[in-house]
Parts: sequence; structure tokens; C-alpha cells
Amino acid sequence: MAFFIIARAAFGYLFLVLIVRIVGRRPGKQLTPFEFVLIFYLGGLTLTGMVGEEVSLTNAITQIITVALCHYLLSFLRFKSERMARILDGVPLVLMEKNSWRHETLVRMRIQDDDVMHTARQQGIKDLSGIKTAVLESYGEITIIPKKEK
Amino acid sequence: MAQPFRMPVVDSVPKVADEVAVGEDLKFQRKWWMFERVIWSFFVLVLLCDLLGVFGRGWLAKAKRSTPDQALTLDYERVERSGSPSVMTLRFGPAAAHNGHIQVFVGNEVIRGLGARRISPEPATSALTDGGITYTFDSGSTPTIAEIALQPMFPGKHKIRIQVPGSEPIETSVLVLP
Repeated sequence: MAFFIIARAAFGYLFLVLIVRIVGRRPGKQLTPFEFVLIFYLGGLTLTGMVGEEVSLTNAITQIITVALCHYLLSFLRFKSERMARILDGVPLVLMEKNSWRHETLVRMRIQDDDVMHTARQQGIKDLSGIKTAVLESYGEITIIPKKEK
Repeated sequence: MAQPFRMPVVDSVPKVADEVAVGEDLKFQRKWWMFERVIWSFFVLVLLCDLLGVFGRGWLAKAKRSTPDQALTLDYERVERSGSPSVMTLRFGPAAAHNGHIQVFVGNEVIRGLGARRISPEPATSALTDGGITYTFDSGSTPTIAEIALQPMFPGKHKIRIQVPGSEPIETSVLVLP
């Protein structure tokens, strides 16, 4: 039935958005092999349920349009509502400020001081004492604001 | 000449220590962490239910129904999954045989709703009857067991009916999940 084909595509897309959102962000500019496997494996498994044995071009076109429409709707809601933007993207989180770690954030986001130092080194900061503020951005990257040299 | 649309820049992003505009919202984030914990618990629950057979293919999904005279015993799954193959087993007792033949009526909901693909062993005859198909097995190859291969394609609740002539019908329902 045509309805089920469209419903499967919409459900698959929205379910994947939820899964990727709650699996959590890991620091880094690029996908780690760990995340690479996760994304492709999830995509493949979702595709099995969405397509099944029905491999017609009509199904593919309607499902692609459905996914595009869902994506457009989420983007629209994200633009219109700040709350929706927070739900979909998350919010930046401070990891370190005023020479102290935000322990709760580090534990809940599964981030270690090594991850922060990794980004700091890329900016030429030699040790943690050179960091003024460290922020985990909503897209997963860690931003370092260095202390001003006296 | 039309003026380009302009809006003044407003410093609306909350700052950390009154210095760095980060836009952190710990109140929201704590709620999200709580939501994540609930979702992960729910996912674990879903997997446990799946292992037990709540969604088919497991211990809780298996069911058995018999006629009072034991002419027919039906082994089936209460919950099926759309597009997934399964087997419904019909066990015939001595009361099912009449004049060297065993006949069994299989309702249309098994054929269409549950997507019956084939019945084995091969029946001697099969005839379209009101609301289903009646299969006849020869006495020479009298099966005590017949199996119907299923592959349901339509999600929903399907009321099925299977009957050996002269006995009470077995009427039950099977839920097909998407």
C-alpha cells in the first residue's frame, strides 16, 4: 500500500534523527572509524526496513521525496522555534571555565581532559593552564578560548 | 532603488562569565540528559520484549489451539512480522480422517492476510470454497502434519479460521506488525 511506503520512509528518517541525536556527540572535526561504522550500519539497516522487497523506481522516488519533505519540515521548525533547534541540535556546553572543569558535563557527554587537550594543542596551547574556556559545540567540535598572555 | 533588508545586530547569546558568548542552557541540557536516560531504558525494554517474543519470533508469540476432539491442533504465532516468513503447523488427529481422506478448510484471511505461500505436503486436491480453500490429502499419504508457509504483507489484526469437516473450527486472531 502506498501509504505504508511513505510512512516507512518518514518513520525511518525520524527514527534515525532520534537515534543519532541520543547516541551523543563525540569531539572531533571528522568522523572516527567508530562513528563511521555506526552511521553506515544504521543507514543500511534502516534501508532494509524502508525498501524491503519493493524495489520499484516509483517507491524510490516517493520515499526520497518523503525524506526530503521531512528534512525540510524539521529545518523549518528548527528555524521557527528556538526550542525545536535545541531539541534537534543540542546546545553548546561549557567544559572548562575559570580554571575548573564542569565535571557533570564531562561525565554525561563522555569527554575526557585528553579530548580537550587534543584541541588545545592544535591551537598551540601547551597545557590545560593555557585554556580560558573550553566549549563543546552543538556539532561536536571543542572550541578553545586561550588565556591572554600577560 | 530598494534598500536591502537590514536588522540591527543584538547580542542575544548568553555569555559565560560575562565574557564569552556561548549560549549554554544547562537547564535544558539536564532535561535532555533525563530524556536520554528514559529513551535508553525504553530501548532496553524493547529489546527484552523482542527477545521474549512480544513482537513475534519468540516464546511469548508461540501459540497452540486444538479442537475439542483433537482432530486438528494448530501451532502458530500470535504475532507475525510483515514481510518475514514463518510457518503455521496443522497437526491432524485420528478424528480428522474420513473415508481415507483428510480435509481441511483454510480461511481467506490465512491465504491473503497472512500471505500463505504454499502448503506441504502437496495436497491431492485443493478447491475454492466459500470463504477459503479446502485442501484434501490422500489416505495413502495421510499427513499427520501439514505446514503452511506464511509471509504476511499486510500489517494489522487478522482473524483466521481453520476447520476440519465434522469438527469445530479453530478461530483465532494473528497480529501482523509492520
